[in-house]
Amino acid sequence: MTDTLNIQIDRADGSLQRLIGLVERRGFHIDGLSMADEGATRRVQIKVRGRDAGRCTENLGRQIDKLVGARRVTFAPQAYVAPFQTEAAA
Amino acid sequence: MAAAAPALKETPQTAPRSGARLLVSTLEKLGVEVVFGYPGGAIMPVYDALTGSGLKHILVRHEQGAAFAADAYARATGKVGVCMATSGPGATNLITGIANAMMDSVPMVCITGNVSTAVMGTDAFQEIDILGVTLPIVKHSWIVRDPADIPSVIEEAFHVARSGRPGPVLVDLPKDVQVGMTGEDYGFHIPNETPDLDHAAIAAAEAMIRQATRPLLYVGGGVKIAGATTALRALAERTGIPVVSTLNALGSVRTDATGYLGMLGMHGTRAANEAVQESDLLIVLGARFDDRATGKLNEFAPHAKVVHFDIDPAEIGKLRATHVAVIGDLKAGIEALNPGPLAIQPWAARCIDNAARHAFRYDAPGQGVYAPALLNELSHAAGETFVAACDVGQHQMWVAQHCAFTRPEAHLTSGGLGAMGYGLPAGLGAKLACPDAHVVTVSGDGSFMMNIQELATLRRYGIALKIVLLDNSSLGLVRQWQELFFAENYSEVDLSDNPDFVAVAQAFGIEAFRISRREEVTAGIARLLAAPGPCLAHVLIDPKENVWPLVPPGKNNAEMMHGDTRFEGDI
Repeated sequence: MTDTLNIQIDRADGSLQRLIGLVERRGFHIDGLSMADEGATRRVQIKVRGRDAGRCTENLGRQIDKLVGARRVTFAPQAYVAPFQTEAAA
Repeated sequence: MAAAAPALKETPQTAPRSGARLLVSTLEKLGVEVVFGYPGGAIMPVYDALTGSGLKHILVRHEQGAAFAADAYARATGKVGVCMATSGPGATNLITGIANAMMDSVPMVCITGNVSTAVMGTDAFQEIDILGVTLPIVKHSWIVRDPADIPSVIEEAFHVARSGRPGPVLVDLPKDVQVGMTGEDYGFHIPNETPDLDHAAIAAAEAMIRQATRPLLYVGGGVKIAGATTALRALAERTGIPVVSTLNALGSVRTDATGYLGMLGMHGTRAANEAVQESDLLIVLGARFDDRATGKLNEFAPHAKVVHFDIDPAEIGKLRATHVAVIGDLKAGIEALNPGPLAIQPWAARCIDNAARHAFRYDAPGQGVYAPALLNELSHAAGETFVAACDVGQHQMWVAQHCAFTRPEAHLTSGGLGAMGYGLPAGLGAKLACPDAHVVTVSGDGSFMMNIQELATLRRYGIALKIVLLDNSSLGLVRQWQELFFAENYSEVDLSDNPDFVAVAQAFGIEAFRISRREEVTAGIARLLAAPGPCLAHVLIDPKENVWPLVPPGKNNAEMMHGDTRFEGDI
């Protein structure tokens, strides 16, 4: 079971690393990742899958909400289509 | 959470100042009085600017001590604790202290120097990516790349540290930013956002409480953080619902209050754990279902529905399904909660009776010092101004079980992280914050050696911290587990070659004496509390003494081991 999270993050030191680290630390595989430049912010789409049945994506979303400079744009268990992109130098 | 707040630009200062001076003046403007730290190459401009400032800098002897002291200063006062260190090893030495503050939601601002921006990423001398290293253990962090940004970043750092669910933040200051000149002086006025009370959720919680026959208040550290102690006590009084407490919430309800059943969990009281297992409704106030509190999670409170009050939405349903969630300020939520008259007298009376029947006893046989009795007597002798700063181990659990607490700020303990070495620097920070209180570090012979260098800090500043060093010549809690769960295979727990702690303390210039027999305890406590300066009591206790009761790891809280009849009245 995979879910797709769309998150807008500020262009700040460590912001992408902070987001990705949180997802993995809270017990999720990252099966897909893309990022788009929006100037002062960046749009990140992450396809996540819990490492075990006890991992709840909504709870992960609430942890993401707590990150300073990060906002969930949508949270929908939808198909993942965006290609992988490497992070541009901040 | 912590959305970017509107900035109101004040009149800019025209005289250019260095980033370091701007940092110091910003800290002064924010009302910071004490900073704990240790200088080094990459933060020297800041130390230069400290001279002659209004900030009192406490030079610790290891950066971990600075972080722990700032943490305890924050816990004891409710203010934001501040610590600083240089780059590289200075910054990495802060890490255990930052993690400690993160686990227990303590507001703390950590300021680190770093190498200049031009050489960041080149493996320069004492360069560490401290922002990267600390990402999992901070609420937020910044690298300041322009001296003009210092005031706004520092003010935002304080706001993030103390708002919502508090936590530690890190501000990394490259050396060129410290020496760079700027005429800017922004002033950010960040309003405290108070979310609207969720009246529908409160009403749903009240309805659920009215339907319950065996409700229980499960109180966590959030009550103290929210300043909701008075509100909680009023709630317990007007509803008559019995109360159990987590380790970090001890003192939120006076430990001698009727209806208070004690701490729950691994080393909780029998009355508290049995009440939880029988309860049909847990009213969870600023607690997070920590595994040391719940034991085996899917057998925890098996008959109970859950009403959960918390400022952190991510705690709702994290480990236990919640029937009603009240997200927001705990003080406002508790004050608004009024379910009306409840028909729970038989339940409450049974809980209270259970607490009385299984109360701890202090009439252990023998002539040796019985640590639980000593700690109980110590807390009563110190009275209303007692503050205990604990280390980690058996003595920590004995403090939690046996000391009398009248307020939550009186119990400083490394709860979530369980960091040995917290006690001495924490006591130091708390005594600076509360100079008129009886602040006592309770430590063990294992923990004490982890930050023993801070005795020099006590001596230097004449900080009248009192230390009770309970010495069982071993790593007692590990030894206890090896006895019970590892077939008495005592692996690497023997500390019988400890130094002479009295001589060590005296060598640091600190008064010290030894208590080795029970009849010396009362006079020893009196001497300790009356000492005008720092003082250490080295207390020899039985190495075989265990902490009871004990819920074995992975078991449910009904499976308490008692082991020693001295603790339980009817066994």
